[in-house]
Amino acid sequence: MAKRTIELIVNGDRYELAVDPWRTLANVLREDLRLTGTKVGCAQGDCGACTVLLDGRSISSCLTLAVEAHQREVTTIEGLAPSPDELHPIQEAFVQHGAVQCGYCTPGMVLAAKHLLDNNPAPSEAEIRAGLSGNLCRCTGYNKIVDAIGAAAKKISDTGKEA
Amino acid sequence: MQDKTQEKTKTQVLTREENELARRLRTADKPLTVAGTSIGRRDDPLKVTGKLKYGADYSAEGFLFGKILRSPHAHALIKSINVKKAQELEGVAAVLTAEDLPGRNGFGAIIPDQPVICGDKVRFVGDGVALVAAETETIAHQALKLIEVEYEPLPGIFDPRDAMAEDAPKIHEGGNILSDDKMVKGDVDAGFAEADVILERTYQVPFLEHAYLEPDTTMAIPQPDGVMLIEGPMQAPFTTRRNVAPVLGVPINQVRVRQIHMGGGFGGKEDSPIDLSCRAAVLAQATGRPVKITLEREEVTIQTAKRHPMIMELKVGVKKDGTLTAFQGVIYDEQGAYASLGPKIPPAGGSHVHAMVMMPGPYEIPNVKVDAYLLYTNHPYGGAMRGFGAPQVHIAHEQMMDELAAELGITAVDIREKNAFRLGSQTATGQVLSQSVGLRETLESCADRFKWDERLAATGWVDQAHTKRRGVGVAMGWYRTSIGTNGDGCGAAVHLHEDGSVLLYSGITEMGQGAFTVLPQICAEELGIMPEDVRLVKPDTDLVPESGPTVGSRSTTLMGNAIILAARQVKESLMDTASMMLMVPTERLDAKGRKIYDRENPDKSLDFAAVAARAMAAGKRMIGQGWWTPPVPSLDGHTGQGSPYHVYTYSTHMVQVVVDVETGEVELEDYVAAFDVGKAINPKALEGQIEGGVAMGLGYALMEEVVLVEGVTQNPSLQGYLVPTMLDVPDIQPVILEVTNELGPYGAKGIGEMPNIPATPAIINAIAQASNGRVRRLPADPERIFWAIKEAGGPPQD
Repeated sequence: MAKRTIELIVNGDRYELAVDPWRTLANVLREDLRLTGTKVGCAQGDCGACTVLLDGRSISSCLTLAVEAHQREVTTIEGLAPSPDELHPIQEAFVQHGAVQCGYCTPGMVLAAKHLLDNNPAPSEAEIRAGLSGNLCRCTGYNKIVDAIGAAAKKISDTGKEA
Repeated sequence: MQDKTQEKTKTQVLTREENELARRLRTADKPLTVAGTSIGRRDDPLKVTGKLKYGADYSAEGFLFGKILRSPHAHALIKSINVKKAQELEGVAAVLTAEDLPGRNGFGAIIPDQPVICGDKVRFVGDGVALVAAETETIAHQALKLIEVEYEPLPGIFDPRDAMAEDAPKIHEGGNILSDDKMVKGDVDAGFAEADVILERTYQVPFLEHAYLEPDTTMAIPQPDGVMLIEGPMQAPFTTRRNVAPVLGVPINQVRVRQIHMGGGFGGKEDSPIDLSCRAAVLAQATGRPVKITLEREEVTIQTAKRHPMIMELKVGVKKDGTLTAFQGVIYDEQGAYASLGPKIPPAGGSHVHAMVMMPGPYEIPNVKVDAYLLYTNHPYGGAMRGFGAPQVHIAHEQMMDELAAELGITAVDIREKNAFRLGSQTATGQVLSQSVGLRETLESCADRFKWDERLAATGWVDQAHTKRRGVGVAMGWYRTSIGTNGDGCGAAVHLHEDGSVLLYSGITEMGQGAFTVLPQICAEELGIMPEDVRLVKPDTDLVPESGPTVGSRSTTLMGNAIILAARQVKESLMDTASMMLMVPTERLDAKGRKIYDRENPDKSLDFAAVAARAMAAGKRMIGQGWWTPPVPSLDGHTGQGSPYHVYTYSTHMVQVVVDVETGEVELEDYVAAFDVGKAINPKALEGQIEGGVAMGLGYALMEEVVLVEGVTQNPSLQGYLVPTMLDVPDIQPVILEVTNELGPYGAKGIGEMPNIPATPAIINAIAQASNGRVRRLPADPERIFWAIKEAGGPPQD
């Protein structure tokens, strides 16, 4: 099969890429754009480590073909912080609450949390747990992640900063 | 949330050797400033922004991609193998079979019984029969399909008890019993004669997958000077090097192994990197090019080590008042196809030996007899997984304690209180627990925080329709620090620079547990500087001293001690120098907060950096080296008597569950877990270990099992192999108690594995307490719970 030319808007930057039509978005982000913050844990949509935002919606980039993202906006973990010296409130909360251990699930967790808070700025604990139940973590036991997301939601609403 | 417990009033009974070791570690009695505080993890900012690189994130430009052709048979002879078509495929750089290997065709953490490439025989589904290196992964995949292998299937062994039969097919030439050990104390027959109640039960646990989220990956990169560089996520760089060198047929110093930050390990990345590194290295050597092997998720499940399954037969005698009189046990520990980390390393290393020692639980029992067998089968192989033999036997003894209590009509807490270890207790190996025994304190604190009595009284139906019942469960546990082998030494080096900054060299790896944060904390505490003044040199066998593997809950304790001893050597230079500068004798000097000061006149002080500069200019020693070996372990090969491990961590867990007696579904409502950790060096990181360990124990209890049919893994993906999600884990309250370990850094003992261990039986016991359904074969999934309730004649009728 011939390569397809696609246009991706990743973290605000526009890329024109020639890709094989069978390649996944995760693969193209990691290999062609060297945005390796997006992790692959299972390549089957089971673990959530590869979560990115596509037009603001959280998706498994290992189950999405790169061509499906043509002319759409992709946000990866590298594009979340407002500047190289700052962290996004969700990232900051993960650090403060000890919500990170090995860190392999963290980029996906943070982006899934971003999706949740964009749609539900003040989630209950049960809503956080349901919202992130597709993201596996084998290290933390999750509770510190739940705490971090709750704290981030509060901080975002207190400071009025956009999540 | 820390409760401090003082053990000072009790008399400690250290042996002479322990006393000598403790004397080496002792510090001036001053409050800690850096150790004991919850400083943030250093690499967190890199992790939350996606900047931290894992093995798969390194560019593989110019690399060949390695793939392994796996046996579809559990047990078969290889009659012929034809690789010609694969070799001819464009883009294939090498196809290797057993006869192409340059050195030893075998690897293994303990015994090199696993072929790098199988030559005449395969022993499990997943055994490697050929290796391919190609320009792309796609080509490598295509090449695998072009290799023709003719097998002659052999009868397989899929139950460890079958492996012991006289006429069983031999999986390895030496027979199927890899090891068999015994522990005998007192006279069990006499003990049973004294008992009022004797119960006999069999408990069974399956293979478990670590399910670390990062699939294994390894790079083998030939260097211009002939050295083979291995890079990848791994827990045991030195064990990897020890295996790669003979496989390549070169001396150990011709192999360099560098650890890359792990995306989870849990014991699994102790031996899978040995496997991948040996295979990548032979491909790299054959082609002269760098080779990368990355496993897919299903390959991780099929190929890499698992938690050992065990069948455990128990017979236990107890008096009416709950006093245990005799404990008899048999352990059939299934090793699977290869020895991996299973076999005995004298005197007390090895999975079945560890299981044997821990099997009677943390209880005083005068008469004990345990037989432990480690058996080859044609299944995947058992390795280390967070507790190494201990989680399995805790599932047996902690259920048995509840079954005995129910029989006697006393509570689950009462029977444990009656028998639990205290300072001076004698274990089943005859070891007298000489110090740091906080087991009873964990029971008291846990019951207090959980409100055990109130909750126990309130158990019963949740709803009018009588479909759901609430219940509570308890389990206790003990776990060693370090691994019980003679060669468990650990080295560190501390390099002080003239500006006061420090490089710390340690071979302990980071897999998310926080070693790269806690170890600099210890170094900073000892030198009187701040953690950020210490930069840790990442494990690299060319740079750091031999540290042993990052396993056995040994890192903080053993490496912590080695760091303290190393730091003291440079501290001596600093104190000598400061003494000259301040005209104060060294005995009066102390260091903290980047100042060196006179204890009797704290205003008289010097900047740490200024003293370091002067020491350097004076030619003082600026590099310290520390080596720590725990007290020599002992365990008699015939009687299983001795002191196998030098100190233990203790724990009690309590949990409240609701069981749907019509569907077998379980919901966890509340969880309290109390630990005697000696000293919490970083309480927040410690809490993280506790919560994560409990969640993993929950998976073991309710859902996790590698399902095998005739040796074939039925659930290799994370769709089929279920692990707990955010919806499954309850609120977990950690309770941290500190009963000083005289042989640990600032009193610390190991904690990495302990939280995982009592969690599983606590949950199983709560299910039984709520519903009468006692599940003796794990996991307790809804179906097994449903049938267990039926078997018990239904739920309690009240």
